[in-house]
Amino acid sequence: MLRHIRRDRELLLLFIPCILFYVIFRYGPLYGLIIAFKDYSVFTGVLGSDWVGLKHFIKFFGNQDFWMLFRNTLLLGFYTLVFGFPFPILLAVLLNEVRVQWFKKSVQTLSYLPAFLSVVIICSMIIDFLSPTNGLLNQLLAALGFEKKYFLADSGWFRPIYVISEIWGTIGYESIIYLAAIAGISPTLYEAARVDGATRFHMIRHITIPGLMPTMLIMFILKTGSMIRVGYEKVLLLYNPMTYNVADVFSTYVYRKGLLESNYSYAAAVGMFEALVAMVMLLGANAVSRKIGGKGLW
Amino acid sequence: MVGERRLSIFGVVNALILACVAVATLYPVWYIAVTSFSDTASVVQGKVLLFPKGFNFDAYAEVLKNKLIPRAYLNSVYYTSLGTFINLLFTAVAAYPLSQRTFFGRRFFMLAIVLTMFLNPGIIPTYLVVQKLGLTDSVWSLVLPNAIWTMELIILKSFYENMSTQIREAALIDGASETRILFSIVIPLSKPALASIGLFYFMGHWNSFFLPLIYLNDKDMYPLQVVLRDMLIFNTENDAGLVDRAALAPQALKNATIVLSMIPVLLIYPFAQKYFAKGVMLGSEKG
Repeated sequence: MLRHIRRDRELLLLFIPCILFYVIFRYGPLYGLIIAFKDYSVFTGVLGSDWVGLKHFIKFFGNQDFWMLFRNTLLLGFYTLVFGFPFPILLAVLLNEVRVQWFKKSVQTLSYLPAFLSVVIICSMIIDFLSPTNGLLNQLLAALGFEKKYFLADSGWFRPIYVISEIWGTIGYESIIYLAAIAGISPTLYEAARVDGATRFHMIRHITIPGLMPTMLIMFILKTGSMIRVGYEKVLLLYNPMTYNVADVFSTYVYRKGLLESNYSYAAAVGMFEALVAMVMLLGANAVSRKIGGKGLW
Repeated sequence: MVGERRLSIFGVVNALILACVAVATLYPVWYIAVTSFSDTASVVQGKVLLFPKGFNFDAYAEVLKNKLIPRAYLNSVYYTSLGTFINLLFTAVAAYPLSQRTFFGRRFFMLAIVLTMFLNPGIIPTYLVVQKLGLTDSVWSLVLPNAIWTMELIILKSFYENMSTQIREAALIDGASETRILFSIVIPLSKPALASIGLFYFMGHWNSFFLPLIYLNDKDMYPLQVVLRDMLIFNTENDAGLVDRAALAPQALKNATIVLSMIPVLLIYPFAQKYFAKGVMLGSEKG
C-alpha cells in the first residue's frame, strides 16, 4: 500500500484540492446536520450547543404548517411530472416528422432558448405577462370583455402558473434526449413499414412510440425520484403571502425560517426531513426500475 | 408515390404546431427587447406587441445612469469568469487521477464522490460552513462551495478514460511528470468536453441568484441577477401580495437590464448549440 501511495504520489498531490472540496463543502455540511438535534447558536458553535434530541422534529411535525408544506411540495412536484412529462416526447416525435432540415433545426434551437434564461428573467416574464394593470393576458381578457384578474395573488392559479411555465422552460432541452433516442431506432423498420403501405400515423404509433418506451420509462422513474426537489427558486420569486397556502414548499420554508429568521436548528431539521423523503423516493424509484427494466439507474 | 409527396395535411399541421412552439419560446424574449426600446406610455396602454412604439434608448441611458446596475454587471462578469475558471481548473485536475485505472483508492474516492449526489444536507448546514470559513460577503462564497459539480466531474472522467493511453505512456517513458502530461497533453486534447461542461458552469454562474442572495449582504457586491430580482419583487416580504409587482419597477428600465443581461448568453448561444445538446446527452447517460 505504501508503495502504491509512493508510486501515485504525484497523482495524489493533484487530487488534494478535490479531496479538500468534498470534505469541506460536501461532507462538512453533512456533519453540520447534527445541529438539527441541538439548539445551535452562532456564539456556542456546532460543538458547544446543547443537545435537544428530537425537539425540532417534534415541533415541526406538530406544526400546522407541516401538512401544508408536505402537500404543497408533493403536489407541485406531482403536477409538474404528470402534466409536463408528455410534452417533450410530443415535441420530439413531431420534430422527427419534419423533412425540411432548416425548419427542424430552427424550431429545435428556439425550443431550448428558455434553458439559457435565468429563473429571475423567467419569473419577470411571468409577472409582466400576468400583471393586472398592463399585462398582455389581462389586456386580452379586457379586450374580450372579461374582467381583469390578478392571477399571482390568487391561490387557485399558482399551481397552473408554476406547471405551465415549467413546461415552457424545459420542453426544449428534454426533447433532446428523446430525439436522440428516436435517432437510434433502426431506419429499416420505417422502410419496411413504408413498403407495407403504412401511413405516418401508423409509423408513429407502431414504431416511434414503442421505440421510445425504454427511454420514457427511465426518464419517468428518474423524474419520480427527484419529484420532491421542487424548483424553489421559482417559488421564491413568484409566491407572496396571498399564495403561501398553496406555494410554500419545504425549501422556501427552510429559507425563511433559517436564513431570514435565524432559526438554524429548526430549519436544518426541516431540511433533513426533506432530504430523507427525497432519498427514500429516489431509492424507491430505483427499486421499481430494477423490477420493471431489469436494471437500476446506477 | 404517396411517401414522397412533399405537401401533406399532416405535414402542414405539424409545421403549424411546431411554429407555435417556436413562437411561444421566442416571443417572450422578443417582447422584452421590444418594450425596452419603446416609450413607457405605449407599453402601459398595451400598444406594443410586435415592434417598438416611439423607438428610443431612454431606458438604456437610465440603466447607465443607475447607481447599481453597471456595477452589478461588472460584478456578474467578474464572478462568472473567475467562477467558471475555478470550476474548469478544479474539475479538469480532479478528473485526471480518477481516470487512471490503477490510481490509489480510486474505488473509494469514486464511491465517496458519487454518494454526495444522494446525500443532500440542505441549505442551512452549507450556509453555516461558508459562514464559519469567513467566506460570506466575498466572491469565494459563490465560487468555492460549488467548485466541482459531481455530474460534470464524472462526465470529464469518462472522457479522459476514453482517450488513448499510448500518448500518456510514451510521455511517461520520456520522463514527463503527471502534471506536465495533464496540462500539456490531456487538457488540450479535451477541449470539446471542457467546452461542453464549461458552458454549463458558465450558465450556472451567470444566471445564479440564490447563492449571491444569501451570501452577499453588501449591495455594491450584488450581481445582476440579484439586482434584477430586487427590481422584480421589491419588499415582497411585506407587500402581502396586494401590490401589482409588475408596476413596482419601471418596466422599460427592468427590460433594458434584462436585455443587457442576455447579451453574453445570446452571444454564445449559436456556438453553444452542439455543446449544449452533447452536454444534456452526456448528463442523461451518466445519470
